[in-house]
Amino acid sequence: MTIAVIRFPGTNNENDVLRGLSLIPGGDPYLVTNRQGSEALKDADGIVIPGGFSYGDYLRAGAVASVGTIMDGIREIADDGKPVLGICNGFQILAEAGLLPGALLPNRSANFICKWVYLKVSENTVGFTDGMEAAVIRLPIAHAEGNYYCSEEDLVRLQDEERIPFRYCNEDGEVGEEVNPNGALDNIAGIVNEKGNILGMMPHPERASRIVLGSVDGLDILENFVRVTKEA
Amino acid sequence: MLTNEEITHATNVLEREPTKTELAMLDVLWSEHCSYKSSKRWFHLFNTEGDNVHLGIGEGAGLVDIGDGYLVGVAMESHNHPSQIDPYNGAATGVGGIIRDVISQGCKAVGLMNCLRFGHPSKPRNAYLLEQVVRGISEYGNSVGIPTVGGELEFDDSYDENCLVNVVCIGVIKPEYVVRSSARTPGHLLVMFGSTTGRDGIAGVSFASESFSDEEEENRSAVQIGDPLAKKVVIDALTQLIREKLIDGLQDFGGGGMTSAAGELASQGGTGVIVEVDKVPLRESDMKSYEIVTSESQERMLAVVAPEALERVIEILEENDTPYAVFGEVTDDKHYTVMENGKVKAKLPIDLLVDGFPEPERPVGTLPTRSTGMGWFKEPEDLKETTLQLLNSLNICDKSWVYNQYDQHVQAHTVIDIGENAGVLEFPMGKKLAFTSDCNSSWCLLDPSQGTSNSAAESLRNLISMGAKPIFIADCLNFGNPEHPDSYAQFVDSVRGLGQFSHDFEIPIIGGNVSLYNESEVDGDTHRINPTPQIMIAGMFRDGATPIKRNLITPWSNLFLIGETHPEMNGTEFQRLMIGEVKGNPPRYRPEMEKKAMNAILEAHSRGLIRSCNNVGRGGLAIALMKMVLNSPYGFKLDLEGAPGTARGFAEKLFSESAARYVAEVPESNQPAFYEIIEKHGVKICEIGLSVSKKVADFGRFSITLEEAQEAYRSGLRKYME
Repeated sequence: MTIAVIRFPGTNNENDVLRGLSLIPGGDPYLVTNRQGSEALKDADGIVIPGGFSYGDYLRAGAVASVGTIMDGIREIADDGKPVLGICNGFQILAEAGLLPGALLPNRSANFICKWVYLKVSENTVGFTDGMEAAVIRLPIAHAEGNYYCSEEDLVRLQDEERIPFRYCNEDGEVGEEVNPNGALDNIAGIVNEKGNILGMMPHPERASRIVLGSVDGLDILENFVRVTKEA
Repeated sequence: MLTNEEITHATNVLEREPTKTELAMLDVLWSEHCSYKSSKRWFHLFNTEGDNVHLGIGEGAGLVDIGDGYLVGVAMESHNHPSQIDPYNGAATGVGGIIRDVISQGCKAVGLMNCLRFGHPSKPRNAYLLEQVVRGISEYGNSVGIPTVGGELEFDDSYDENCLVNVVCIGVIKPEYVVRSSARTPGHLLVMFGSTTGRDGIAGVSFASESFSDEEEENRSAVQIGDPLAKKVVIDALTQLIREKLIDGLQDFGGGGMTSAAGELASQGGTGVIVEVDKVPLRESDMKSYEIVTSESQERMLAVVAPEALERVIEILEENDTPYAVFGEVTDDKHYTVMENGKVKAKLPIDLLVDGFPEPERPVGTLPTRSTGMGWFKEPEDLKETTLQLLNSLNICDKSWVYNQYDQHVQAHTVIDIGENAGVLEFPMGKKLAFTSDCNSSWCLLDPSQGTSNSAAESLRNLISMGAKPIFIADCLNFGNPEHPDSYAQFVDSVRGLGQFSHDFEIPIIGGNVSLYNESEVDGDTHRINPTPQIMIAGMFRDGATPIKRNLITPWSNLFLIGETHPEMNGTEFQRLMIGEVKGNPPRYRPEMEKKAMNAILEAHSRGLIRSCNNVGRGGLAIALMKMVLNSPYGFKLDLEGAPGTARGFAEKLFSESAARYVAEVPESNQPAFYEIIEKHGVKICEIGLSVSKKVADFGRFSITLEEAQEAYRSGLRKYME
């Protein structure tokens, strides 16, 4: 069982994700660069697209990477029902590629924002959140374009089908506009696709994966990802 | 620009007229920025020695041994002039340049800091500069994937026409992978890679070595343009080249471009170089040789490669899709030769080009005498209001509007974010290092020497309060025009102060930069910045130790004031608030008291006796205490009557900025051991109160709810930026 961690030119969280996954028994991650192409994904049982600034985020965050040579391979793996996780820029790439609904707009403040946030985990697990149901967790965010937006119709579906595992909240788990860091619709910090095998999230689980970093809440998410990969 | 004296000197040494290309080369390398011709003569005052120093001042980055087979690297630099003209690109390329300095030593870059100074943000131009500088740093540093872990932001009218952008990059490396900035072996090849060469930043160093005139906008082409994506690719390629030990020498194209990069390599290696400008990949086809050799286009590196390693080097550069060229060779003739289409365009002896300038006369003026008088002082009627106003004042208030725009967590090794006394990073083998930077430019204006020593002491206290032992200093010395004796006197006095501190505390200075000419002529008047010796100190924690933060941790713990409070109100934020300016003698530098307090606090930390700790700095004791509760679930209740020292009035006790003081939260069970340590080190101490479970700051004579305090603290800068 192997997890491919994808690097586009400008990706800069790949080593953090590799390190986070390698802390987990059976994590077994390996690095794949975009130029290696889809061929390099043939042994992958799961995929993580880490954060960063793929192609400098020139044009639009994730836009250039979303048509990268490796995307065909990622699409194939996703179609097979194998798990795919996009973190931050990875989420932006998945949305740009149409693998997840909606788009990540520039933050309401128009500034990059880096801070620790609280997230309310949904009550119903999406597989990636087993054992964390209804928990309040603490992870850092770091993005300029994290303001989740989608059509009214998509939003209703996301809500009805309980495909919003993470919402920005306060320390006590209350979801409200005053703790929305970027203007995201319905305080959305992460969503899954219809099949439930693709997760996109703006906060960084790999940056909350060791005690010395101030939180290990992200490790739970990565552990779930590894478990889901084994099961898929 | 070269002076007549310098041109005559070059002509005499060469025994002929220099060519146009040669003049361009001498102009950049003999600029103040590259040559340190006004400053270097004073560096002997610094303590640069230490058992832990692996590589001192002189190359891209200083390297310090942190044990267990690792070195930490650090470089610090200014990008003031470009940022004043083009704040976004100026600041971004400042960050780009400092990263190159550190990676050119072979280091992995693991942290960034920036120290910024502007005029008051109520002036739209200043707010614009701040906004654009922060955006430039943020977009560049975040993209390249290096966390920002610290810095400083100060406002003063003296920066109206000359903002300051000082940047620091921190790296890590194993000694066996260190690459030196020298070309030692004739026959080795010069390989440039990373980006193409264009007309941006032509002779930027010369422009940075002059005062601004009223026509400053004309200099825009002297500002470089950054490309963080190209930089990330350079970093990836370089990581591979270093891992495979394919490089024999390395320099970045920074100030002075190719002239400086290849010239320094030859100078350090005792060799010569020959370069062929036709081989350089250009952005614009019609560039002249004198432009190519002085262009400061960003994201370019210069590697010295043995012929047998060339094939593999090229393979790696091509894999990474980065522009490159083998454009020259190391020679044994100790000359820098520039060829174009088979013709010699320049041939300069290396020791003329590098450091061969005629040392200019720099008369040192006398500094104005200041008084210790406090005739201006009046005890404020409403101390609560004064405290809130100080919390709201620009040099004390919350700066998160700035630092929330920096990625502080990329690389997943940030232990303490910005906003505490120092940022803390985790290094290999579980080691933790703290980084802080300070300069109180008001103190330095009033007394450059004492102000500088005391600014360094403030940095030191930041580290000590967290439990980190200082291990090295880097600096960036920002001053006015050295050709003006009164300005030069400030510089010389400040260098004395920094030298004194480095000897007093036996902390080596391992890197730095000097930025002079930070003054402008405005309608015939000289506007000069406050002397701004930016000092950065790194400290290391004992293995396994947890950094101590300043938020109160538990209710009903005792709070102690360590050190003596004197009526030192001149030069303080309180004085600025009361009379709108600073004057008189600033708070004294007290090395003996400072050392005693340092040793006492460090020993108490080593035994885990202190729960939370802050040091007393800007705004005095009142502000130090407020910062311990602003983000804490607890408040405090105090009685300051018995505070040791000669301060008598309540306002003096609250707002004096006397040195060598700390506030510590010590639970009752730890107090016998704590008292014992304090007594052993001969430090004055006073129990000043208790932490309480109510969210209130009760000073005895007045109290402030945390909500009011937070609002004052938060809105200080935001009200100008949002």
